[in-house]
Amino acid sequence: MAADAADKAEAGADLRDAPDNGLGRKLKLLSLWHLVGAAVSVMGILLARRSGDIELPWMPRFALQGFFSFAFVAHMASAYGVGARTRWARPLSLAANYLLTLVAASATLHLFNAFQALGDFGEGLYKAFLSFVVISVGLLWVLLSGQMLAHRPTAAGPLRLRRAGWSLAAVATVWFVIKADPSGMISSIGETLTRPLALGAIALTLCAALATRLMWSRPAAKYFGSTRQVDEALSGFAFLSPNLIGFFIFFAFPLLFSLWVSFFDWDTTNTTRDFIGLENYIQALSLDFVSSAQSNAGTEVLRTDYQVLANLDWFGQHWVVGARDVEFWLSLKNITVFLVLAVPLAVLPALVLSSVLASKLPGMKVFRTIYFVPSVAGVIGVSIVWGQMFDATIGWINYILDLLGISEAGQGRGWLTQPDTALLSMVIVFAWMSFGFNTVLYLAGHQAISKELYEAAEIDGANTWQIFRRITVPQLRNTTFYVVITTSILALQLFDIVWILARPIAGGPNFATQTPVLTLYQEAFTNNRQGYASALAWVLFVIIFSFTLFQFRRQRSEVSAGGVS
Amino acid sequence: MAEVTFRSVSKQYEGGGPKAVHDLELDIKDGEFMVLVGPSGCGKSTALRMIAGLEEITDGELRIGDRLVNDVPPGDRDIAMVFQNYALYPHMTVRENIGFALEVAKVKKAEIKARTEEAAEMLGLTEYLDRLPKALSGGQRQRVAMGRAIVRSPQVFLMDEPLSNLDAKLRVQMRSEIIQIQKRLDTTMIYVTHDQIEAMTMGHRVAVMRLGVLQQVAHPQELYQRPANLFVAAFIGSPAMNLINVTLGGTAERPTANFAGHTLAIGEGAVERYPQIVDRIGSSVVLGLRPEHFSMEGDFDLPEDQILEFEIELAEAMGAEAHLHIMLDVPVVELDGQPLSVEDGDEIAMSTTKIIARIDGIHYVTSGDSLRLGVKTHLAHFFDPDTGLPLA
Amino acid sequence: MSVRRKGPRATIVRIVTYLCLVSVAVIVVFPFVVAFATSTKNSQDIFNYPPTLIPKEPQTVDPAEVALSDVDADEPLPLYAFPDSDTRFALVDNDVSVAEFRLLDDVDRIIRLNVTSGEKTGEVVIIDGAEEDIFAIEVDGTTVEAYRSRLTSGGQFVSLDDPTDVRVELVNVVQPLQQFGPRLENFEEVLIEKDFGRSLTNTVLVTIAVVSGQILTSILGGYAFARIKFKGSGPLFLLYLGSVMVPFVVLIIPLFQLMLQVGWLDNLSALIIPFMFSAYGTFLMRQFFISIPIEIEEAALLDNASRWKILWRIMVPLARPAIATLATFGFLYAWNSFFWPLVIINAGNPDGRVLSLALSTLGGRSSTDLNLVFAGAMVAMAPPILVFLFAQRYFVENSASSGLK
Repeated sequence: MAADAADKAEAGADLRDAPDNGLGRKLKLLSLWHLVGAAVSVMGILLARRSGDIELPWMPRFALQGFFSFAFVAHMASAYGVGARTRWARPLSLAANYLLTLVAASATLHLFNAFQALGDFGEGLYKAFLSFVVISVGLLWVLLSGQMLAHRPTAAGPLRLRRAGWSLAAVATVWFVIKADPSGMISSIGETLTRPLALGAIALTLCAALATRLMWSRPAAKYFGSTRQVDEALSGFAFLSPNLIGFFIFFAFPLLFSLWVSFFDWDTTNTTRDFIGLENYIQALSLDFVSSAQSNAGTEVLRTDYQVLANLDWFGQHWVVGARDVEFWLSLKNITVFLVLAVPLAVLPALVLSSVLASKLPGMKVFRTIYFVPSVAGVIGVSIVWGQMFDATIGWINYILDLLGISEAGQGRGWLTQPDTALLSMVIVFAWMSFGFNTVLYLAGHQAISKELYEAAEIDGANTWQIFRRITVPQLRNTTFYVVITTSILALQLFDIVWILARPIAGGPNFATQTPVLTLYQEAFTNNRQGYASALAWVLFVIIFSFTLFQFRRQRSEVSAGGVS
Repeated sequence: MAEVTFRSVSKQYEGGGPKAVHDLELDIKDGEFMVLVGPSGCGKSTALRMIAGLEEITDGELRIGDRLVNDVPPGDRDIAMVFQNYALYPHMTVRENIGFALEVAKVKKAEIKARTEEAAEMLGLTEYLDRLPKALSGGQRQRVAMGRAIVRSPQVFLMDEPLSNLDAKLRVQMRSEIIQIQKRLDTTMIYVTHDQIEAMTMGHRVAVMRLGVLQQVAHPQELYQRPANLFVAAFIGSPAMNLINVTLGGTAERPTANFAGHTLAIGEGAVERYPQIVDRIGSSVVLGLRPEHFSMEGDFDLPEDQILEFEIELAEAMGAEAHLHIMLDVPVVELDGQPLSVEDGDEIAMSTTKIIARIDGIHYVTSGDSLRLGVKTHLAHFFDPDTGLPLA
Repeated sequence: MSVRRKGPRATIVRIVTYLCLVSVAVIVVFPFVVAFATSTKNSQDIFNYPPTLIPKEPQTVDPAEVALSDVDADEPLPLYAFPDSDTRFALVDNDVSVAEFRLLDDVDRIIRLNVTSGEKTGEVVIIDGAEEDIFAIEVDGTTVEAYRSRLTSGGQFVSLDDPTDVRVELVNVVQPLQQFGPRLENFEEVLIEKDFGRSLTNTVLVTIAVVSGQILTSILGGYAFARIKFKGSGPLFLLYLGSVMVPFVVLIIPLFQLMLQVGWLDNLSALIIPFMFSAYGTFLMRQFFISIPIEIEEAALLDNASRWKILWRIMVPLARPAIATLATFGFLYAWNSFFWPLVIINAGNPDGRVLSLALSTLGGRSSTDLNLVFAGAMVAMAPPILVFLFAQRYFVENSASSGLK
């Protein structure tokens, strides 16, 4: 063993001995660069207070200051490490430079208003939409020809199609550029180029990128004695980085921030920010039960700040239930009712239909496709159509009921305007949209049922209904579980349908269609109470998550118990 | 072309367990065709993959040429490999598959074309160059895999059981083709197989491995004639060498092997090669007799004390020769406490030893016959039953 | 298949089954038919009860064909029917002064005539305490006496067959003649006048950007998780999986704040950039890459191909189905998303809207132009449906199987 280690060190010394002259010079530059980087970081920390003349809002400010602090330390350490040729110098230098490149590039883009421009690009696209369509057609040809070539690599037809596609796309691109008129953008770029900060950002980006490239190269890797594992790990993170960075900025950070905000009394424009601990949660969830002799007691019997939520008669006593946030509790009640109605309606038909579709009758694929369409058409369009159909005077639903003799002409029900039926209408829309998707899920479950079970049952003389009830349904237990849970999770987040259909106001008649997400939206963006809304969001999250967790655990245990999954 | 050198190389998988390769010392010469052979789990594939750089080396040094390559990535080692399942890129044509490595190395298009076509011609693939792998037969795919390796003109060629997915006839044909290619290219070739016939017919030298340990590396003939231990003796040769638990008796001038009621004199040649026989008279040893060491009485001139009578359990008429299966009432020879089973799936009853004798096919033998067979014990092998080492 | 019972019973079962399936299909398809039909109607037609599926437009006639000298209209004249005549009448002027006469003999009968018709007889009659002039008017060929009860405005109708048959009547009392007439101008109108066209291109932009971004980051990330060994890849991947379970609702407030602070509020980039990565997509690609035999990659490593090259030259071409699935999912998600655009884009900013948002505003604002709203709905719904129909062989199988893993 000792001999091995000595051998290794010797081998190591072989590698490290005389570096290529070019490399040596470059590495010296790199050390220098790291010092520059450290200085820039200090500048960055100070500069982050201001962007031009405006003071930066606190989120980017903290982020930049935090980043530059880390960058300062990293660059200082790297400067030392590169010079001293330590093993950890390479990963650290790579990390520091890579992140610096990204931050500088983002800052550059921001200074050039690139992100705004992305939105404004919409205007250019609007003007030049036809040419864009032609480009798409060209690219579509290329794609199609690619598919064909995958099977017959040298077929002449697809090759020609591909070339035609590229030519078409190229010509149309020129047309597009002319039509979209980038002159505004070009002049704005020119203008920004005159700002020193912008030039500085560009320079920073380029240098950091070059530094990263240098450190990544094979000679540098050898010089710093990088092992295969380290190389692979660096590779892994490099590939993962766009994904990971997006994950942190747009998921992890907001998630934690939302929890943080929920402990504050925070308004949208950030003018007030008071820490109030669990107060938001308490306010949302507080209930008060008071027994009262009067059957129509009002708020006077409740504590201050509480309003009447409901009047109940339990165990011979008359109770008044109060809540501090009546709307929220109403929304919870509504969503529970919705859940209880919508989930069976979206799941049971799917179960039955899937059994029919799973048979080998001709045309099943067509039906399957048709049933799936509502799930993909888009909630808003669908809701608008159903809104029309539910209309009290000119709606189709009433007309059909009239034709069937169930209701009378002119006595059209106000589906969406009556409190009893408003939520029901939305249940129907939701179920209509969801059952097709669930049918497909069930179909997959059917495929897992072994044919022999059916054959055995047939031999035993079971009829169709018995087979369905005693074999199909139990075998689909897991699928049913999954379908119920996913449908429930969607149902709990009901918002879009309500927004479009609810009349006269979003909460519906008598708050019949007030849902938790709607309450959240209103609190956050109409009442500007974002701290409170965040607390509501977390309460909702816990409810939804417990469903998810339940499903996850159950699936796990089924798999481990060797159940059919 | 380069030598490949293993110095005390070991491979241990994470999480413990026995080492996959244990202190391997092996020198493969430049331009040599070396075969690594052994039962499954013996470490031959692991050793090959270590040369390729697809497995990390836990201990020891591996050199290709003079270069220490422990930490060198696979792409930098200038080696080529033919996988057991060919590993062709499914979405690329034969031409693209073969040319891929050259493309990666940024070789000029014209040169890629030329070299690809040259390799294709060498392997008879010219008319398939524009086909996709799924349109090829197993044998053709195998050749594409070889073409891919050949076109790179690597220092070392690695082959991981390339013929095991082919049917028997194709296998034999490809064997000779591979040998010819190696001769033509004169590259160092390292070939892994579990089939000892393949090993014996193809390699310049053969390295026998078992449970991660190198048993013996030598020219095929030497492995056959002078096996270094019981395992090699039993592994090499088809049908396998017969191993019998015997007790040595007789005198120093004429020692005998006693088993199942038979007393078999041991010829002089054996005593010369295995001098310890004389010291071990009275103890139990393992007698190794190749099937061809038997002959029909009269076919070969042998003294009477080397002729024994056996009952033939099963006679297989092979045409030019006949294989006679004989059951002896002797417990099976064991290695490391296990009955010696060198072929995968070989099942041997514990308490009887089966031996196979090979005689000239001209004799008409049927199962159940009782025969007198001569034994050329001067060619026999003798091993210590505990260490498995020869009584040399 | 086992031996099936033949005979009338089995056939009936079959028929009933198909009937059930078809009726469900009708329930599914019907709202779309309504949408399509309504989108081609003119705005008046929608408010009819009972509702109809077939778009109708008024029958018209070229003014030149109406042989009246004082017709000075350029546009086609709508046609009407009178209950007592089989011929069709053209409305030549819908703003004439109409006098309502009530007959002295039959006070409940109302005759409507041009205000100029009728001659005063000079006599008066007392109706409800007021003095009314008596007019002599022509009714059915005879002259009768009547008084003028009301002056109002109405339409002048000319019979197509008999140019001398000129009548005046209140326009909304006469029955307009309709013919099949899909009004395709609805689509043009909604796209141009109601800013829907801009929303369409915005949605196209956002969808393409988001899908491209998701594909790119998912391929890179999926490959990293599938084939590259790096410390922490296990726990990190579990974290990714866990993130799928977090409902978007929890993130909107902080994301909103973030967009506000970097100045992307009310801009399309807020709809694009946060969604350019997808944990689910990464998961999908990873599962797929894992299923590719590792020898292929080892062969490429031996060929000295870099990881980047291996990914793009070998793994990705093999991953076409998975990428197609991802693209389809991403497209549907981005095209149909509503909640986040609602939060981010200002209500008053017509240039920044996407289709779902525009549709929602349109539906609220233009409830009198429902036909335009439905035309907009068709524009919004058609692409995802078409994309789905086209890509469904990837989509349907994958959404089913990936869920049950």
